[in-house]
Amino acid sequence: MSFIRQSLALLRINLEGEGARLGSVLTIVVGVTCTVAVLVSMLALGTGAHAQAVGDIRDDEIVVQARGAQFIQSSVSRDDMVAVRDLPGIARKQDGEPQVEGLVLVPFEGHRRGSGRRVFFPLLGTSDLQVELRPPAHLTAGRLFQPGLHEIIATNSCVRQFEGFELGAKREVRGIDWTVVGHYDQGQSLQCIVLTDAETLMSLFGRNSYNRINVRLKTPADFAAFNRALEASPSLKLEAKTAREDVESQFKQFNGLLNFVSYFIGAIMAIGATLGAVNSLYSIVDARRRELATLRALGFGAAGIVVATLLESILLALPGALLGAALAWLLFHGMAVSPFGFSFRLDVTPRLAEIGIAWALAMGFLGGLLPALRAARVPVTTALRAT
Amino acid sequence: MKYLPLVWSGIWRKPGRTILIFLQVTVAFVLFGVLQGLKTGVQHAVDAARADLLIVHGRQDFLFSPLPLGLLAQIRSVPGVKVAIPVELSGGYYQKQENGMGIVPILAEKGWTDAFTFDIAPQYLAAFASTRTAALITEFDAQKYGWKIGDRIPLVTRVPQKNGSTTWAFDIVGTFTDSDVAVSRYKILVNYAYWDEGRATGTGDVNHFNVAVTDTGQAVAVADAIDRRFANSSHETKTESLGARAPQQVPQSGDLDFLIRAVVGAVLAALLFATATMMMQSVRERTPELAVLKTVGFGDRTVFFLVLAEAGVVCIMAAGCGLALATLVFPFAGRFVFGLGMPRLTIAIGLALAAAVALVSAAVPAARAARLRIVTALAER
Repeated sequence: MSFIRQSLALLRINLEGEGARLGSVLTIVVGVTCTVAVLVSMLALGTGAHAQAVGDIRDDEIVVQARGAQFIQSSVSRDDMVAVRDLPGIARKQDGEPQVEGLVLVPFEGHRRGSGRRVFFPLLGTSDLQVELRPPAHLTAGRLFQPGLHEIIATNSCVRQFEGFELGAKREVRGIDWTVVGHYDQGQSLQCIVLTDAETLMSLFGRNSYNRINVRLKTPADFAAFNRALEASPSLKLEAKTAREDVESQFKQFNGLLNFVSYFIGAIMAIGATLGAVNSLYSIVDARRRELATLRALGFGAAGIVVATLLESILLALPGALLGAALAWLLFHGMAVSPFGFSFRLDVTPRLAEIGIAWALAMGFLGGLLPALRAARVPVTTALRAT
Repeated sequence: MKYLPLVWSGIWRKPGRTILIFLQVTVAFVLFGVLQGLKTGVQHAVDAARADLLIVHGRQDFLFSPLPLGLLAQIRSVPGVKVAIPVELSGGYYQKQENGMGIVPILAEKGWTDAFTFDIAPQYLAAFASTRTAALITEFDAQKYGWKIGDRIPLVTRVPQKNGSTTWAFDIVGTFTDSDVAVSRYKILVNYAYWDEGRATGTGDVNHFNVAVTDTGQAVAVADAIDRRFANSSHETKTESLGARAPQQVPQSGDLDFLIRAVVGAVLAALLFATATMMMQSVRERTPELAVLKTVGFGDRTVFFLVLAEAGVVCIMAAGCGLALATLVFPFAGRFVFGLGMPRLTIAIGLALAAAVALVSAAVPAARAARLRIVTALAER
């Protein structure tokens, strides 16, 4: 296996000489660093938004909506609600009542702090606050709303992001002033959600149906039994999904687009950085023509030189990858942004770092290919004769 | 000018290296062009949103409070209103739930297109008016589902017809394009008359009214007049122009700007390193040649500018190339992202950035070349 020994020996010589070629080496490192940092940060947008959406979801939560409808268009009658409460597998509260909650959704107009920009966010009417506001969600200030009194509670994110959610503030919905009586936290999510009593909201809007029903199961495994019973019931035109499934389906398209943009930008930057790496490696090889010719004259094989140069290129890309991923983490991890109308934190995960490193290795390999061939093809006699 | 051949031969001294650096700069500026074009394009679209078109919708929540069709006569009687057209909004899907489709029933009275941002060919317009079940589709619909004019398409909706079915059939009579910011790709325009008579519930409801005003300057006053007319009624309205609505409907510009700046910054940083190294290397290799130039009488300053010019020519030409490529990409990318555009300002900024990159990366090598002492430089040979 003299081939491998040769390659490794050559690689050592190459790397030991790197200090003398600092400019070229830095070009490769900086190019790869920037590419990986951008790619990882862009992907962290999608990961962060997704992590927030599924972060507070528990596996025993399921949602029941009209077949084929999104949350906002779905309609579930009171009779349906009564029927759903009797389905099997549902967890019970201490008083023996099933943990089933009807939800009414009304878009609600608000203005962003600072910019004054108008945004719509959900005003949710819940028929059972105990089910909606279960841990880790908890009240942080004020008190809970009282049914029938036009009172609302809002997440702390609302208070931070929008105007007019201080305790005691009045908000107008359908010509009636609603008082903010409490603030609560949902867990990880930065979403602004405003809660009130379902009946109060429904009577104001003249509605007689919920948008969806949220159900807590005894265990996640009870979903199958629940679903079978739901589908077997001829009068119920409803479908059940796990809460996770529901969120994932909403996210599919959004994440697809975001990932496309991330990889598009990442790919263009990678092409640029690879070109830079090729250039640098060419000059490294050129600077070592005599050295390479000498090695060939001493009996080192062309294959060994190719492999050694390729490995050198890949190893030079590696610090860039680590640096880029670290930079993305240091600069952006946990940063709250809202480029798409809702707030979330960027999430730089180990998985993203792996993707960045994989890209860097690919860039190192592709960038090293041509220079490696040139290194192997150095004509011994002319190179030795040259000054 | 007379130094141009000299600069040119300097550039092509090592063709491989120059081509690679040229490509790298090109790629960087393709990205710059696309990102910057995205940003300015969105801004441009917002600025271009029509201020003379008003949308009258329910005051609190335009998704859930339908307005009665009966308001139409009162809206039309407001001074300054040229055309007022009722619009309903609904949704459905084609074959599979994933194939969501916006359904927009419009009361297509004479001159209705004046109150919309749609562009529709006259023959399609005529067919739409004369066919009860007519539908106008977008290019996106046509491409995605392979629909053609003359096709009859069934859409599953959440609105039951009087016969109980929630599937509605429409006859495609033509296509339309929409120049508004909030354009959704997959939607069809249908006749309100067909929709309203066919549906079992909600008869006589509309989602909003589109209003065109006679004098753009009076748009705000007309909007206020409409809202005043319905104040304290059971159907209070809120009227906004498309121009006022546009900024709300594009991505949060602040965060988008930050994102674009960060990416462009990273691209330029990497580029700077690459060009700087290249120029450094190039000057080092040509030390004897530069010394010869000085020997035959070129001054320090001339040599300095020769080196700068080399970097400048390569960078600016490559940047121009990249920006041109980005413009070529736009028609393709425009199908995914709305409102791409490359105003002259972006081109100017791009070229200026390229010049700056050249200047910064070549300054040190050029200074080194200028300070070169002939004797030592030649002695190295």
